[in-house]
Amino acid sequence: MIEITINGKKCTCEKGEFLLDVARRNGFYIPTLCHHPAISGQACCRVCLVEVVEKGRSKIVVSCVYPVERPCEVYTDSERVKEDRAVVLMLLKERAPESDVIDALCKAYGAADGSRFAAIDGEKCIMCGLCAGACAKLGTGAISTVLRGTAKKISTPYDEPSKDCVGCLSCAYICPTKAITFKDDGQTREVWGRTFEIVHCRECGAPVGTREEIALAARRAGEEPEELCPTCRKKKMTDIMAHTYGIV
Amino acid sequence: MKKQILICCGTGCRANGSMNVVEAFRSEIEKNSADADVIPQIKTTGCNGFCENGPIVKIMPDNLVYYKVKPKDVPEILEKSVLEDQEIPRLMYKDNEGNRVRSQEENPFYAHQQKLALRHIGKIDPENIEDYLELGGYEALKKALQMTPDEVITEVEASGLRGRGGAGFPAGRKWRTAASYDNFPKYVACNGDEGDPGAFMDRSILEGDPHAVIEGLAIAAIAIGAEEGFFYIRDEYDLAVKHVKKALEDAEARGIIGESVMGSSKRLHLSVVRGGGAFVCGESTALMASIEGRVGEPRAKYIRSVQKGLWDQPTVLNNVETLANIPLIIRDGGKKFAEIGTETSTGTKVFALVGKVKRTGLVEVPMGTSLRHLIFDIGGGIIGDRPFKAVQTGGPSGGCIPESMLDLKVDFDSLAKYGAMMGSGGMIVMDDRSCMVEVARYYTNFLCEESCGKCTPCREGLRRMLEILTDICEGRGREGDIELLERIGHAVQDASLCSLGKSAPNPILTTIKYFRDEYEAHIREKRCPAGVCKNLTRFEIDEAKCIGCDMCAKGCPAGAISGEKKMPHRIDPSKCISCGSCREACRFDAVKAVGRGQEA
Repeated sequence: MIEITINGKKCTCEKGEFLLDVARRNGFYIPTLCHHPAISGQACCRVCLVEVVEKGRSKIVVSCVYPVERPCEVYTDSERVKEDRAVVLMLLKERAPESDVIDALCKAYGAADGSRFAAIDGEKCIMCGLCAGACAKLGTGAISTVLRGTAKKISTPYDEPSKDCVGCLSCAYICPTKAITFKDDGQTREVWGRTFEIVHCRECGAPVGTREEIALAARRAGEEPEELCPTCRKKKMTDIMAHTYGIV
Repeated sequence: MKKQILICCGTGCRANGSMNVVEAFRSEIEKNSADADVIPQIKTTGCNGFCENGPIVKIMPDNLVYYKVKPKDVPEILEKSVLEDQEIPRLMYKDNEGNRVRSQEENPFYAHQQKLALRHIGKIDPENIEDYLELGGYEALKKALQMTPDEVITEVEASGLRGRGGAGFPAGRKWRTAASYDNFPKYVACNGDEGDPGAFMDRSILEGDPHAVIEGLAIAAIAIGAEEGFFYIRDEYDLAVKHVKKALEDAEARGIIGESVMGSSKRLHLSVVRGGGAFVCGESTALMASIEGRVGEPRAKYIRSVQKGLWDQPTVLNNVETLANIPLIIRDGGKKFAEIGTETSTGTKVFALVGKVKRTGLVEVPMGTSLRHLIFDIGGGIIGDRPFKAVQTGGPSGGCIPESMLDLKVDFDSLAKYGAMMGSGGMIVMDDRSCMVEVARYYTNFLCEESCGKCTPCREGLRRMLEILTDICEGRGREGDIELLERIGHAVQDASLCSLGKSAPNPILTTIKYFRDEYEAHIREKRCPAGVCKNLTRFEIDEAKCIGCDMCAKGCPAGAISGEKKMPHRIDPSKCISCGSCREACRFDAVKAVGRGQEA
């Protein structure tokens, strides 16, 4: 066990635990955007930065990936944190002026004045890359970051509709700023330049998902694809079990 | 005595046609071989560092050096200097006093240098392992095999050797940490992804003395207990890749590396990985991601790569120049190495001295050499004896140092103290016709393109700082811009993920610190004092100084200059595009840059 202080309060943690988790557990809320328990180690939005003082030396670290290795003092709201975070938030706001989430963060934590700059018209994406991470993990790796520097973006290969996309929308759901646009009218779903047919439950008629995502899920589970919604699937299982135990 | 003809075949000399010179020597010697008693030996060597004067030909053992040699000079060289012992003055270097000098030692460019990392380059044929062995090559590796890993590391620690790639981390400490883990396999890697514009010391070493780097990396592997290693070489460095691959094959064929390292029980496999062509891949964790086949993006380094590097295993990554010093340290002892340089920065450093100096090229000097000595004694001062303005050190994310600090000793710590850095050793000299705001804008633009784009401060901060700098250079600067640049710059230094971002604001912050008045002139008076920023500059001809030589008119791409011969010329402002080529062409200092004032 290691003993650290966060904003003066004594806290204990395991060696190697991430500072963000220790802080939140002890009641100190630190804002995050690109942090997600399922996709580790992004560390790119830099909103969760805090000041750490170790052996008398102060440094700015991002709490989401900073492992606590030795006793230290942590400040989540020092002048230096406030200043750096204000600039980071301003940069994010000018990057993604259309995002309500960024707007709310700016209001809550205070952003520097960015009126000097030309904000990027209509943009919501903050280039955190969570979508690409989720696609690699849950989907098929159909999207990834493309190019580098200020030109970096999220896209399918060569910006063409990807044959690998299964339309699962993991990318859209994990996006912290809701920047990925899609359409879903219950019959078809449009995302990343492709249109997918929605499969309906053969029992109750409720929408289940795209044919491609159902096939992918079944393949991963080692089963045959089945056009059943979660409720009817459960019902079917219950029927089988009841039959097996001779209840019916 | 049999003479040797050493022909420089580094990339610079090749571009100047040295391979044609080699061919000319070969065919000429063959033609004359029938009646010659002794056939002279031709040797193609690596880069001598004085590329602007290439191709360079050395006649040994006479130690006679010729510069800018053309194939048509070859018969004369053979006849006079190889078969006889005569000099050809027109091919010899002219020193500051106008005297023709014979040897490299007498050439002021080389006279002040001390070559450790570059010790063999220019003397040996990099494609011939015999040449390296003849000069004591792989003796250090043999010695290291007879020492314990701990003794090897202790020797490197005693040398005080610090990483030449830029960060200056003590090499011995890095090895010690990697050796302390019992987590196998471990890896060693050589960082040859030199990306700084204008810097070419790593390329030169890999091309000109690949075995020294292989020997250094092999010693590192033995010290930490690694059996596999990689040379990560920038994709553009064709010749370096070729020479390192050849050297690895030769070393393996001789049993120096491979299943048994020089007959010992140790194994070592080394291979070459070509870089992905991105500046950021020189950053250690991005480089490792690239070797593993992932996108070259850095990760947070709170857990260092000596602990979790390649494939999450302990990895030692050293720069080319660092590794080239290792065999010397093991052979002669760390203590001897530590006697060179300063107390905290030992040894020598290779600099790529470029820009507005009379003599440009690769320069190796002891750490602690002053900037003034480098620029004025070795570099010969500013072209056209114009006033010195600044020197930009450490590559695109280094800083600009003004004249008042020319006596600064160049080492890791003193440069960092002033907001600049030694980096990998790029050194760009600027005269009074360099605009410091434009310099900052240029580097910021480079970094905008070369940032990996992963973290917010680096990607967005650079974008916004570039926006301000472009505005200032184009006459749209506003009050408050300088303060905003400083504010964003400090946050980018603090909050960026890797050292590319952390150092990216250096050119901006140092130019503001030392040349604030230039920024203010751009913003408040809409004037570029150096006469570089086109929107803010007009050119005029001083009629009292103009002799009517017509050189400016000949060089003007817009046809804006007119005037009769031997009479003062005039610039038509409606045609002038403010490119400044008239000012460059004028040898009488008659072309003046003037501000556009309110017109902008």
